[in-house]
Amino acid sequence: MRDLSRRRLLRAASGAGLGLLAAPALAACGTSAAAPVRSGRAQISLWTHDPDYIKTFRSAIKDVGLMRGSRFDFGLDITSSAPADIMTRMIAQAVADGNTPDLAGLNFDQFPRVMQSSIAENLFVDLTDTVRPLGDDLLKLSPYSVDGVPYGLESGNAITVLYYRQDLFDTYNVPETLETWEEFLEHGARLSADHKVSVGMISTGDNGSIVNGFLQFLLQRGGGFFNTAGELILDSPEALEVLEFMTRGVRSGALMALPDPYGSACAAALKSGRLAATAMPNWYNAAGLQANVPEQRGRWRIRTLPRFAGGGHIASTMGGTAFAVLKDKPNSEAGLELLRRVYLSREGQVLRYRFGGYLPTLAPLYDDPELVASKDEYLGGQQAFEIYSAAAADLPLFYQAASMQILSDVLGGQILDALKGRTSPTAALNAGLKAYRQQVTR
Amino acid sequence: MTAPPPTRAPVRASLPAHAPAKAASPRTSWWMRRQRAVAPYLFISPFYLLYGLFLLVPILVGLYLSCTEWAGLGTPKWVGLRNYQDLLGDHSFWTAVSNTGLYVVFTMAVVMPAALLIAQALNARGLRGRDLFRLAYFMPVVISPIVITLVFGLFFDNEFGLLNAVGHAVFGFGGIDWLGSPGWARVTVVILVLWRWTGYLTIFFLAGLQNVPKELYEAADIDGAGPISRFRNVTLPCLRPVTAFVAVTVLVSSVQIFEEPYLLTQGGPGESTLSVAQFIFRAGFQRQQLGYAAAAGVLLFVAVFALGQLAMRVLGVGRDDR
Repeated sequence: MRDLSRRRLLRAASGAGLGLLAAPALAACGTSAAAPVRSGRAQISLWTHDPDYIKTFRSAIKDVGLMRGSRFDFGLDITSSAPADIMTRMIAQAVADGNTPDLAGLNFDQFPRVMQSSIAENLFVDLTDTVRPLGDDLLKLSPYSVDGVPYGLESGNAITVLYYRQDLFDTYNVPETLETWEEFLEHGARLSADHKVSVGMISTGDNGSIVNGFLQFLLQRGGGFFNTAGELILDSPEALEVLEFMTRGVRSGALMALPDPYGSACAAALKSGRLAATAMPNWYNAAGLQANVPEQRGRWRIRTLPRFAGGGHIASTMGGTAFAVLKDKPNSEAGLELLRRVYLSREGQVLRYRFGGYLPTLAPLYDDPELVASKDEYLGGQQAFEIYSAAAADLPLFYQAASMQILSDVLGGQILDALKGRTSPTAALNAGLKAYRQQVTR
Repeated sequence: MTAPPPTRAPVRASLPAHAPAKAASPRTSWWMRRQRAVAPYLFISPFYLLYGLFLLVPILVGLYLSCTEWAGLGTPKWVGLRNYQDLLGDHSFWTAVSNTGLYVVFTMAVVMPAALLIAQALNARGLRGRDLFRLAYFMPVVISPIVITLVFGLFFDNEFGLLNAVGHAVFGFGGIDWLGSPGWARVTVVILVLWRWTGYLTIFFLAGLQNVPKELYEAADIDGAGPISRFRNVTLPCLRPVTAFVAVTVLVSSVQIFEEPYLLTQGGPGESTLSVAQFIFRAGFQRQQLGYAAAAGVLLFVAVFALGQLAMRVLGVGRDDR
């Protein structure tokens, strides 16, 4: 071997270093166009924030019945991240022409970020043709639609019901069948004064929690933030009535002010028995009650929400996560096929209910004998679908808009001020609306 | 044909003795002529390439974006200085500026002196368990933000919080709405800043104190100086370089404060604890107003740069004549 001089060694090393630097740079400049996968092995890149979705999809691709007749042999590459990070990184990757996921789980409060500047249209597969055969049987498409075009399929029909401690209701003589919120608040005020026990909670932490709690009651009352066209409809008698109701409840102690429905303060309220009831979506059973107070198994029950005397629904909705298929990718077709099988078939919906407790988004399944017969042991063996079925039939529609986050930011503080008695509900809503209009027209 | 440059001969001379004498091609001869002049630049070029790529390019792109309207996808729309104009009329931005100012003033006026006093106490002769104290004061910096959020949330909760419970049990008063009242929420954030960063800054002051010559204290003792006089006339002057360094870094980092208000209150209630860095985050990653966020980022950059420069000049960082 010839002598290797120091100079040659340095030259060789610098050449190799430059090569190493140039390789990714050149790769980044290239396009990642590849042939679409039409059949056979399809390794789907899936991004989600919730481990239950991972379990669901992993089980689904192994379920022979669910995958029967598919021309794809699915595999999964999972990336788990926080909901906001999924959206941020997905958009950043799309800008850089990088590795976007094939299937992305989009939290409902992140979706407004893609409702502007045609981002959803450029990123996601239009699901109009996919959902058309299902017609009105498919529920909760509206929060993930832009200009009437659906881009995401909801994972669970997050139905808000009333959770209540049957033992405490018995002890404190609160009837389980109270018809209206107004009656309910009267009993709550009595319980608060006599026993320091509340029959509901109101979030007073971050703006998102505050506004979501308000929206949940507002939807039940028949109001909303936006209409189908994305126009603000908050300036309504229903909004004022709901905020007055919440304010009254907090002041009387019937509704307990807590930072959020999941944190340590809420856990303390549940454990101490100071929270005897709360209006929350079905997912709160696992994420809130079973997580914080497993020892209270068998004491909780659910029922449909008491009505507002002025009208509205017997149920509401809050939260949710939709899955969207990224367009113009080799696996777009395969991703859509996987989503269709897991999210739009009876078998897929039953499987999702079993693995994550996600309520069906197909309306006929609320009469499905298998689901109706299922019992919830945490709820004392209650046949929960009897309640969910009635609630699903009267579930309000919920629309979002690109400016949802702005509304949340400007309204949160105002609602809190009203709840704390620092301003009146009328003044709070007016101030919130004024600030919203200023920021949106900017 | 011109004569070869004078540098060529030494280069030739440096070749190994057994190297074959080749006829120099024009390209080779250019390289041979220039390599001594070019080589140093090649050696330092990686730094400048990386500096340009990761510092200058982002700054220039940020400047460009600040003059556009962009939601993150598609082509940015040029709007000139409109984002800056909107920022100046945005009530939320001024709330964030005001809150950030409060955090900066508190950090400079309370956290730094507290760190110095704790360091002085830890430096006392004959203190037992010094390392344990150091560990205890440093601990908050390394605790996970998730834990901080959970624990402080429970400490400061209005209904079930430890502070209100203790206040009620001991003083018969415990109804402070720490996180729900705008004023108290700001106090809570600065308490978290105090708790989290005082111990960290103490380490710097402690290192400085251990380098103060003992002879100076002995001389002060002989002159009849008391503890306060010794602190004022010996300790503080000797700590000047450390203090200057700490002051500049604390100033620059507290202007960009993000974690504490984000963890504890997420900027709430309303916007009462919102910082400028949070304002930028909110505009960019919650509202997809990336041009607007970039404009606020540019203003923050200018503020940080100006304050940093001012502090360095006033405190004489890097100058030997002080």
